[in-house]
Amino acid sequence: MLRNNYYTYLIVTLLVFGCQNLKKVQKDYENQIGDTPFDKTRDNPNFKFCDSTKVLHKRAYIRYSGGEKALEEELIKKYNFQPNYRTFSGYFIIHFAVNCNNKTGRFRMEILDTNFRKTNCPEGLESQILSLAKSLENWHHAFYRGKDYDGYRFINIKMKNGKIVKS
Amino acid sequence: MKSIIFTVMLIITTTASISQVNCYIYPEGSPERQACELCDEAIKHPQGSKTSQLLFDKAIAVGPKFAWAYYEKSVPYFKRGFLLEGLEILNEAIQLKPLDYLCYRAYWYWQYRNYKLCIQDLETYYNMPKAFIQFTPGGEKDMRIILGLAYARTGDYKKGIKTIKDCLKTYDSEDDFGFADYHSLGMLYVKDKQYDNAINALEKQLLINKDIADTYYYLGLAHLKKNNKTKALNYFQKGFKKLKDEGRYRNTNAGFYVYPSDFEEVLITLKSD
Repeated sequence: MLRNNYYTYLIVTLLVFGCQNLKKVQKDYENQIGDTPFDKTRDNPNFKFCDSTKVLHKRAYIRYSGGEKALEEELIKKYNFQPNYRTFSGYFIIHFAVNCNNKTGRFRMEILDTNFRKTNCPEGLESQILSLAKSLENWHHAFYRGKDYDGYRFINIKMKNGKIVKS
Repeated sequence: MKSIIFTVMLIITTTASISQVNCYIYPEGSPERQACELCDEAIKHPQGSKTSQLLFDKAIAVGPKFAWAYYEKSVPYFKRGFLLEGLEILNEAIQLKPLDYLCYRAYWYWQYRNYKLCIQDLETYYNMPKAFIQFTPGGEKDMRIILGLAYARTGDYKKGIKTIKDCLKTYDSEDDFGFADYHSLGMLYVKDKQYDNAINALEKQLLINKDIADTYYYLGLAHLKKNNKTKALNYFQKGFKKLKDEGRYRNTNAGFYVYPSDFEEVLITLKSD
């Protein structure tokens, strides 16, 4: 009985530590950090990459008409502040892709507090920010070394007391 | 000659921490040497690629105390907007070698506009007895200038000005100044309403590098506040022209940016007067 217990303990220990090590060393990566595979539960099926094998991760090459200021002004103009948002200060980091036809898709969002820890925000704010990001239409896809590309980009929206902070 | 030596020293000291590490400094067969060689292999592959990230993981597994592996692995996460993942990895490097990697984290805090955390890291760093001169990853600004700009972004212009002035004082001569250091100082003087000091610093900027459009904007603002409308208009026009010049100096990490609409606004107001 004691011996059986000993073996069980040994096997469990080996499995636990073995799995921990495996978890630490082997991680599942996409081909490139930031590649965002299609998720039918949240992605628009009409958004397609022109060439899904060559999607760039060079954010500086994806521009917005009128530059970053125009983008920010558009966000501020469209943003609909609600009193219950006042409790929120932090950041929305939104990742997405711009295809070679200047269409956007594969939106993912993280909400961080002022100490850069994951947090939640008041009801309605999260969906509004995501809708705002999706409503931006004046993107210019990446043109790199004489060729058109699909590409990934992100925007960082900073908020203080529920209001968008200008950069 | 002195300035050449100084520049070389700067390059050596600033790149020592974040550039490629010489693996031969570690004993053959040691975990650090193995990890280092794996990192050398990893950086031959495209940054952020699965192959390179897996090699960094392998390096971390054989040499968990080898800080450079964590640092290199974190870089693509920061660049691509995955801040939390990047921080989680970089924090390991900072635990092992705070002197080498704290400024890098401060830089990303700055980039993601968290000035409070940026200031916290840089104050910690510069209070370390062995702190050395560090620059932004692109090399264009001393991190003490970034600290000054970060104070300004939190509204403390006076502390920002003092920090930048103290930084510039440590240089032997103006030959060692960055291409936008006087601009940064002059801009903060304008924001702090010290217009004579602003004009003085911004004019010095033009002697070092006259290709930043924003310098003309702030010179225009300072002259406007001193009621020199002709001079102000002249600078605004020059700046607006410069903004359209593809060859202009793009002052990365300026802290505060001037946009075409800012020029248009002041030009319309001045011309209608």
